[in-house]
Amino acid sequence: MRFPYGPAALSMLILSIISGVWLAFNPVPPKKATLVMWTFAKTHYDAYKQAIPSFEARHPGVKVDLQLVSWQAVTSRLQAAFLSDLDVPDLVEVEISAAGSFFRGPLKDVGFLDLTDRIKQSGLYDRMVQARFAPYTSRGRIFGLPHDVHPVMIAYRRDIFDQLGIDPNEIQTWDDFIRIGRKVTIPGKRYMLELPDSESSRFEPLLYQRGGGLFDPQGNCTMDNEIAVQTMLFYVPLVAGPNRIASDLGGGQIFTRAVEDGYFLCMIAPDWRSKTIEVDVPKMRGKMALMPLPAVYPGGRRTSTWGGTMIGITKSCKYPDLAWELALHLYLNKDDLAQRFRDTNILPALKEAWDHPAYDEPRPYWSNQPLGRLYAQLAPDVPFQYTSPFVGTAKGKLSEALVACVQYYKQNGDKGFEEFVRKRLKQSADEVRRLMRRNPY
Amino acid sequence: MATRPTDISLTPTRAARTSRWFVLQYRMAPYLFVSPFLILFFTFGAYPIVKSLILAFYATNGPKSAVFVGLQNFIFLFSDRDFHKAVWNTAVFAFWSVFLQLPLSLGLALLLNSRWVRGRELLRLAFFSPNLLGQVFVGVLFSVLFIPQYGLVNRFLHFIAGVPLDTKWLANPNLVMPALVLTSLWMYVGFNMIYFLAALQAVDKDLYEAATVDGANAWHQFWAVTLPGIKPVAVFVLVMSTIGSFQLFELPWIMLNNSAGPDQAGLTIVMYLYQTGFVTGDLGYASTVGWTLALGVLLISLFQMRVTGAWKGGD
Repeated sequence: MRFPYGPAALSMLILSIISGVWLAFNPVPPKKATLVMWTFAKTHYDAYKQAIPSFEARHPGVKVDLQLVSWQAVTSRLQAAFLSDLDVPDLVEVEISAAGSFFRGPLKDVGFLDLTDRIKQSGLYDRMVQARFAPYTSRGRIFGLPHDVHPVMIAYRRDIFDQLGIDPNEIQTWDDFIRIGRKVTIPGKRYMLELPDSESSRFEPLLYQRGGGLFDPQGNCTMDNEIAVQTMLFYVPLVAGPNRIASDLGGGQIFTRAVEDGYFLCMIAPDWRSKTIEVDVPKMRGKMALMPLPAVYPGGRRTSTWGGTMIGITKSCKYPDLAWELALHLYLNKDDLAQRFRDTNILPALKEAWDHPAYDEPRPYWSNQPLGRLYAQLAPDVPFQYTSPFVGTAKGKLSEALVACVQYYKQNGDKGFEEFVRKRLKQSADEVRRLMRRNPY
Repeated sequence: MATRPTDISLTPTRAARTSRWFVLQYRMAPYLFVSPFLILFFTFGAYPIVKSLILAFYATNGPKSAVFVGLQNFIFLFSDRDFHKAVWNTAVFAFWSVFLQLPLSLGLALLLNSRWVRGRELLRLAFFSPNLLGQVFVGVLFSVLFIPQYGLVNRFLHFIAGVPLDTKWLANPNLVMPALVLTSLWMYVGFNMIYFLAALQAVDKDLYEAATVDGANAWHQFWAVTLPGIKPVAVFVLVMSTIGSFQLFELPWIMLNNSAGPDQAGLTIVMYLYQTGFVTGDLGYASTVGWTLALGVLLISLFQMRVTGAWKGGD
């Protein structure tokens, strides 16, 4: 007897019957975990995998299901799940630029547990770098424990600096940096610094260094204040115009090639990026070094901050006390943090952890500099970075303003530039404020 | 009058006719057969459509916190610079996609329909194959091709025209759209070519012979025979390309590294909808954007069909 619909349909039918029967007799057992945790960073995931067994051993019967979830999924899927009351994990690590968007709406509707009292009662507010709570605070309430500090330094090609006779100790201020940069920059072939002219990811650390920011502690948009104007007036001539000393090509393989070719001599490097550079540009081992960020004025702040992660406990968590204990286990254990620092170069927010010898170990990649100590010395000076549910919009608007200012400067130079910067930043800030006013909550 | 065999087989027996169950089953059977579709359609089609229409009149923080704002979302939309930018970008993309893509597709189809071209099957596969990859893969591929200093596009343009090696296609607001249009051309020209090729092969050969006898040259034959012959397919391709262009999302999203690009030069309407709905959580405003997009696409499609005379039918 022939199957009436042909061999293709017959094979599909057979396949579906076989797989259906197989699944019926071999059902996938549901995971039974007491706590489910999401993280978006592979390095965090690997570190927590090692730390979780000791937590489970301390709590017999408790099982932690750690899941590596993409950054995109954490920001969009978790947001959607919170908003629609769907299943969410018990603990989540959220990237700093997305954190603000989770604090939208009335405080009672924020999907994360308010950790303010736990943090203050346990003394963690003083034991950790206080500036790092700011990005995870909304209307005075803290919704996340900071994972890191991310102080910013400058990574540079030490071998080329030596060849050119540049002494990094002579670079104290941005004026020093720019003066040397103009001497060594060869347009189209070599630039003193890697800085983009089309988005604001590295403009922001320089804005924070000057004490500015996108928002103030009350959540008001401040991206057009005098500090922002002065930062823009400083930044744009670095990346545009005849005297520019900075360029940008992009990330990944192109970045590797550019650093190897000496296309960039310096890069803005928070602790996490020092690891990225190690991994992406392995050939530069022993040829790279770090120096503090040049100060805006003599004696001024020699660092800033770029990036960050918080851990939060969701309101739907059935065992919030246990989840809090897990968060503390992952974020406070000094030995684990030391090992994590060795693996990731990330300086933890817990100040007392920096006493560990791991932070004084010389790093061959960085010309045997004690990487941890360099970052730790700058960490107490890391600026505050306030957030708002509109932080994503504000970042986009700041990027738009930057692009417009770059275009203006390319066409007109200094003529009327300051006036344009003020006008353009105000336009962007007003657009953010307009959106904020629309918010009925 | 002939009786259909199905009527014979479905005619209930005397005993069965007395059964209420059978009568019920007999009446309900058609509804039961179509019910899977109806259930799925109402759950995943009609309900979300109606819900989104209602949401368009609310300011929301997700579905659980909603405040009725009447027409405020629509009023805000018409003064929203980001939405204007998204509409402009999408319209520019649609314009160039349609007016470059369709002539190129038709040209390729004419070429491959010619009996003088050798290896037509291979060429057909070659031109169509980019479409097999998917927008995400193509986006990743072209974001590498467009990188400054070391990218293949810049190397090639530098070699033939002296274009600077550090030209930033995806970081310069003036070059983002050309980069997106070029990428979409590579991807979709071959796809539309297949439609045109099928239409060309369906044109009656006798008409060409008659035109030749009447003294028509190749150009006259193209205007008088080919174009009218492929008109229904051309209108279909035009409308579908326009709708597809207005739904643009993945390509710029991937090529511009999950963003709208410098100065929002790659912001499309669907991207704005996504950002509003799923990043900032304002599903109400996102619904307003979605409905405006749907109405816009409908109007443009109707306009295109009217202009091209697709409603007249028969020709």
